[in-house]
Amino acid sequence: MTQQADIYRRVIAAKLFIDEYYHEPIHLKHISQKAFFSRFHFHRLFTRVYGRTPLQYLTAKRLQQANYFLQQEGISIQEVCNSVGFESLASFSLLFRKRNGYAPQYYRNLAFLKNKLAKEQPQRFIPNCIIQNIVSEESNIQ
Amino acid sequence: MITKLIHTTLFVTDQDKAYDFYVNTLGFIVKTDAKMQNGFRWLTVAPPDQLQPEIALLSPLHEGMSYDEETKKAFKILLDKNALGAGVLYTPDCRATYEELKAKGVVFKSEPKEQFYGIEAVITDGCGNWFSMTQPKESK
Repeated sequence: MTQQADIYRRVIAAKLFIDEYYHEPIHLKHISQKAFFSRFHFHRLFTRVYGRTPLQYLTAKRLQQANYFLQQEGISIQEVCNSVGFESLASFSLLFRKRNGYAPQYYRNLAFLKNKLAKEQPQRFIPNCIIQNIVSEESNIQ
Repeated sequence: MITKLIHTTLFVTDQDKAYDFYVNTLGFIVKTDAKMQNGFRWLTVAPPDQLQPEIALLSPLHEGMSYDEETKKAFKILLDKNALGAGVLYTPDCRATYEELKAKGVVFKSEPKEQFYGIEAVITDGCGNWFSMTQPKESK
């Protein structure tokens, strides 16, 4: 294995570690240990490979998962916050709003409404030109 | 004045398989997943850092599509041949992304190679399409 391939393998292992354990209280120290690099060296390599710092990647991963959980019923905002690895609801809400433009509860309300409409009136989401030209006639009858 | 492309269509052989590839393997976000009565499915996805344009993953072979048999056959031939080049996907590090996706079982038409515009590998989606996966020169 070339040196570069080994570096990639170790950085990728650390990224996969984040993907698997994002919901736990992991820090740069834990992540860099997975790659067997010093924190500084790992931070630099990860940022070069993924175009963002390990912390930015971890936060984005957590918020992305939060988007998914917020669309599910039967789980409170606080539970979503904790289940994706945030310790504070305030920081979760702040970061969520920054990324999505909406507070978690508002995002959830919109998602529920969209999912309901998608089930009940799917044609509202499909461009009319697609319905007119591509979808067969019996699909238009709702 | 047209200012943005907000939806584009990608024809795939199988929407469930395409969902698995674009969402579970590449990490794209599902924007809309709406099914009509006869099973026609409007499934749109987008990369996590660029939520528009949405990519509508449509199966021209599905019975809910109004294409005639000849057209469907033509689509099937093209998709089965992996003949349709669908676009260019950006990556900050082509070689690392190649290694990661290869380990996940993704099939590539070509390995990362230096080109005059950057480093490029050619990725297939397993649903009839291929993409250039490019790390532009200025991205490092």
